Amino acid sequence: MPEPVDARMRTGRSGFVEQGLWVAVAVLVPVCLHQIFQVVPTEGKMGVVQRIFYFHVPSAFAGFLGVGLCALCSALYLWKRDRRYDLVAHASAEIAVVFFTIVLLTGPIWARPVWGVWWTGEVRLTSTLVLWLMYAGYLILRRNAENPEQEARWGAVLGIVGALDLPIIYKSVEWWRGLHPKVLKVSGGQGLDPAMERGLMLCSLTFILLFALLLVLRCRAGALEDDLAALTRHAARRGAGAEPA
Amino acid sequence: MTLMGLAPLASVLALLAQEPATGFVAENVAARPEVVERGLRFLNLAYTAVWVVLAVYVLSLSIRLRRLTSQVRRLKERAGL
Repeated sequence: MPEPVDARMRTGRSGFVEQGLWVAVAVLVPVCLHQIFQVVPTEGKMGVVQRIFYFHVPSAFAGFLGVGLCALCSALYLWKRDRRYDLVAHASAEIAVVFFTIVLLTGPIWARPVWGVWWTGEVRLTSTLVLWLMYAGYLILRRNAENPEQEARWGAVLGIVGALDLPIIYKSVEWWRGLHPKVLKVSGGQGLDPAMERGLMLCSLTFILLFALLLVLRCRAGALEDDLAALTRHAARRGAGAEPA
Repeated sequence: MTLMGLAPLASVLALLAQEPATGFVAENVAARPEVVERGLRFLNLAYTAVWVVLAVYVLSLSIRLRRLTSQVRRLKERAGL
């Protein structure tokens, strides 16, 4: 049997952190919806469709977090060769793909009434699609590796290379002066109405907690997969040992 | 003479500087009922997409966790661990 990744993960039971995250997300999601539909003002130029922003932008933040964490843990895995880092990197990448899927669905739904088109060749949109494709490729690559060591190594390299797209996405609006609105003041945006800013911050916090919850669940699933593989090997060895020579 | 010549230009500039009392400005467009209704359709579509993606992922993850937990438990029992 390999070294346990985490004693609580191995039992398949949820821990205190996971339960706390479930409660926090269950409380915060209705609060967010109340903020979005009852409290924040309607934007003057875009109208009600601008409210897509309160889930679109936090999804992008959660996706960024996933990609960043994947790259960091991939680098740590290549350095330390510790399976725990690979487990977190794989889980982060999968969750990042989920959040970027939301970004890539809600973005065009917002763009159609505001820009008049579902999609343009704008740099932020294209680079986000490229990031999604790279991490979807990361998940496919891991499934097709010949052994766990190769899977982790290939995954780590692609996890780091894929993250090089993050600064391009973030700075694209400034570097290429695209159509995409600037959201943050630090990137040169005009700033938001204080109520809108509070709504955005609350939704961002909720999505980050949701990311953390999904990460804990996905890491537990990864640890159980390791257990299952080890137990299967153990059973096979015992079966082979019991057979007559 | 020069001042007389500038008078029409000044009146045109004054007209351009005026805020239109009614007209086709973005704020008015966003508040029109048909635009609000259309916006709500897109808003509905976006939030439905968000919930569907999250629900599918959480559901698949919980199914995967349940299956793995039961498989590990069964193998442990069989191995006498």
